[in-house]
Amino acid sequence: MRKSIALATTALLGGALFQPAVAQVRTSDGAPSETMNDQQNVPEKFRAPPPSAPQAPGVNAANLPDNPEINAADIPPMVPQASANPAPADWPAYGRGDAQNRYSPLAQITPENVGKLQRVFVYHTGSKPAPGQQNKWAAETTPIKVGDSLYMCSALNDVMRIDAATGKEIWRHASGVKYQSIPYTAACKGVTYYTSSTVQEGQPCHNRIIASTLDMRLMEMDAETGKSCEAFGFGGQINLMQGMGESVPGFVSMTTPPPVINGIVVVNHEVLDGQRRWAPSGVIRGYDAETGKFVWAWDVNNPEDHHQPGPGKFYSRGTPNSWAAMTGDNELGLVYVPTGNSAGDYYSALRSDQENAVSSSVVALDVKTGSPRWVFQTVHKDVWDYDIGSQVTKFDYKAADGTVTPAMLVPTKRGQTFVLDRRTGKPLPEFPVEERAAPSPGPVQGDPRSATQPWSVAFPRLGFPPLKESDMWGMSPIDQLFCRIKYRQADYEGEFTPPRLHRPTIEYPGYNGGSDWGSMAYDPQSGIVIANWNNTPMYDQLLTREQAVKQGLMPVDAPGFNPSAGGAEGAGAMAETPFGVSVEPFWNRFTGMMCNKPPYGMIEAIDIKTKKVLWQRPLGTARANGPWGLPTGLPLNIGTPNNGGSVVTAGGLVFVAAATDNQIRAIDIKTGKDVWSDVLPGGGQANPMTYEVNGRQYVAIMAGGHHFMMTPVSDALVVYALPADSH
Amino acid sequence: MVSFSKTSGAGRILVPLLGLLIALLGLVLFLGGAYLLFLGGSPYYVLMGTALLLSGYLLGSGDIRGAWLYLASWAATILWTIYEVGFDWWAWLPRDFGPTIIAALVVACLPLLRRQENQDLRSGSFDHA
Repeated sequence: MRKSIALATTALLGGALFQPAVAQVRTSDGAPSETMNDQQNVPEKFRAPPPSAPQAPGVNAANLPDNPEINAADIPPMVPQASANPAPADWPAYGRGDAQNRYSPLAQITPENVGKLQRVFVYHTGSKPAPGQQNKWAAETTPIKVGDSLYMCSALNDVMRIDAATGKEIWRHASGVKYQSIPYTAACKGVTYYTSSTVQEGQPCHNRIIASTLDMRLMEMDAETGKSCEAFGFGGQINLMQGMGESVPGFVSMTTPPPVINGIVVVNHEVLDGQRRWAPSGVIRGYDAETGKFVWAWDVNNPEDHHQPGPGKFYSRGTPNSWAAMTGDNELGLVYVPTGNSAGDYYSALRSDQENAVSSSVVALDVKTGSPRWVFQTVHKDVWDYDIGSQVTKFDYKAADGTVTPAMLVPTKRGQTFVLDRRTGKPLPEFPVEERAAPSPGPVQGDPRSATQPWSVAFPRLGFPPLKESDMWGMSPIDQLFCRIKYRQADYEGEFTPPRLHRPTIEYPGYNGGSDWGSMAYDPQSGIVIANWNNTPMYDQLLTREQAVKQGLMPVDAPGFNPSAGGAEGAGAMAETPFGVSVEPFWNRFTGMMCNKPPYGMIEAIDIKTKKVLWQRPLGTARANGPWGLPTGLPLNIGTPNNGGSVVTAGGLVFVAAATDNQIRAIDIKTGKDVWSDVLPGGGQANPMTYEVNGRQYVAIMAGGHHFMMTPVSDALVVYALPADSH
Repeated sequence: MVSFSKTSGAGRILVPLLGLLIALLGLVLFLGGAYLLFLGGSPYYVLMGTALLLSGYLLGSGDIRGAWLYLASWAATILWTIYEVGFDWWAWLPRDFGPTIIAALVVACLPLLRRQENQDLRSGSFDHA
């Protein structure tokens, strides 16, 4: 009885919320009686407009013509790809090869000679904020390298081929992406190199670059010339807004390189967090990499229908989106999709059972059908934005008895690293997962939290013990006292403290990780995992609708939307739920310093055979950080927040930037000590990579900076090598 | 009534200024610390706030006992730091860096306060204590 009252209250609140949204829509029949949980009855606003209606500028929001469809069985067998067995000198995929392990067998640069590294060239992508534009830049780009060329994208999706030895631009493919299509961040993590199964060698578009854009287009171009592959889609591209229904520019975007598995290119996209419950769908789709023809869709609330939505229909709204880089598996015919949260991230009562089953999970989709073969969930009923930001890394696990298991590493923002059997999604016996009690049901009526959450108990956790009042920090007893008061004012029961009304909660680990999109590096020769991670708690609070309105929070697609009032990754309107949400770092906003004591970022090496931490140390110095945003210039190894991953090489080095000290450094993998560093022209929030041309090893890092990390933005790709006469 | 009339010009300004600074810090620590204690947090701040208020008042009055009280509080803070966080040096920064700078200033003011004390004794105007 009590439960039904609570539900009725929720429905009432939800109904009240709907008034403004519905009022914006001219209703034809005058009686829109939406049922919140029925995806086919979502508010009329989100149904596709009639074909004659003018479309929003930039992104073509809805009712694009269907793509031609093709059966998976009719797709020709894929020829071997450069990424399947990368040449030692190459880096042909985002994480180097199909394993996505960020390991290079190059060994010319070693701990002994790395001190002699010098800049060989700096290449400028040309993409950075124009005067007067709000800074939303964080390029996050990792070039790929095949043959003698680098291929990369700019933050606004121009695609470039660059001479890998000189930095000379060979061609540039302009994408035409507009500023208003930038979602939370103008990022382009990379492009995909694909060799055609149907076009003969020597012909245009035998080797292709596949790129995805912030305004939801999938493009293919000739790797040799940069010219569009006319046989793909409509003049070399397809518009992935097809079937998405109502949207506005910047609401949905693609920022990762799409993988190709057995001839099928699979696309995911980010959907802005915290906007509204019925945000555009998080649908995952597969297309024929040769022609761009549609193969399948995986639509979470419509799991039996793998086709494009019919006229006036759209993929189910508000479903979990996937914004991290996916990993393909040609042998098993799977694509591993790291999923995020349903829309309206901090309130879960309106989610369907299907959504609850696949959010904040790794989902292994069969690339022939688009159906999940298995799902492994890392957070149950997530209301902490613990979506998976990392790309999974494939590896062969060699057990003590000599058996070899196809396995994967699943890094998470929680700092839990799950080690799964790729065939089944089950944890390896050596890396068991325990369901442990979590705070539940929590303070929000009608939205109970899960009673348990999964813990990977054998893999070293990337994190520190729960926060205590005495962990509060500052420059003086006064700002420390301020943070102690903030700590005591908040509700905090350790990890998974549920967000609530009228009182802040501490979210620790925060939504920046643990591990985020930098993912992990893994040396398959030694079995050593390199992981960098954050120690940055957040301060969350649910807002009543009245409070949210007073704070000016509104979704990105509302007519009066003001980008400076709030947006993704922070305070959010969460329209069509009873609550808004306030999310900010757990910090002293007067000094701009975090409330918890340092380190705020770490890097460590873990031996997967012994499950032991070989070394662990803070990552990043205080040189460019300090109170009130002032650089201290101090070389103190304080450990800063970091975004971006590492590279591990056979030369015995780890290359990593990521930290907010704007440096790239080389770490001796044996000792964990810095053996080289250089100050970059911008923040190094990107994954570095390494390659060889004419017997010379190079290391490249995009110093694109990051607006949220408050590091300087630049358009510089910086490339290092040993002096030409020293090897 | 305390008189600085026969001390140097520097002492006439510096010691009361230091007293005022310590008293202001004490006031902030006292008020914030009382609230923290009310929220269930550490009693250190309200206790230290009380000590600094008193120390600041005494220094402002040219009373050398204000200096001894501050230095005793500073020593107590060091012990409290060891009790609370051990020898985690990052955790020492907020607790001890600023208070140690002020302790150095207080020590630097000791000769002035002593001279003041001697003059007061000589002139017999120390009877207020």
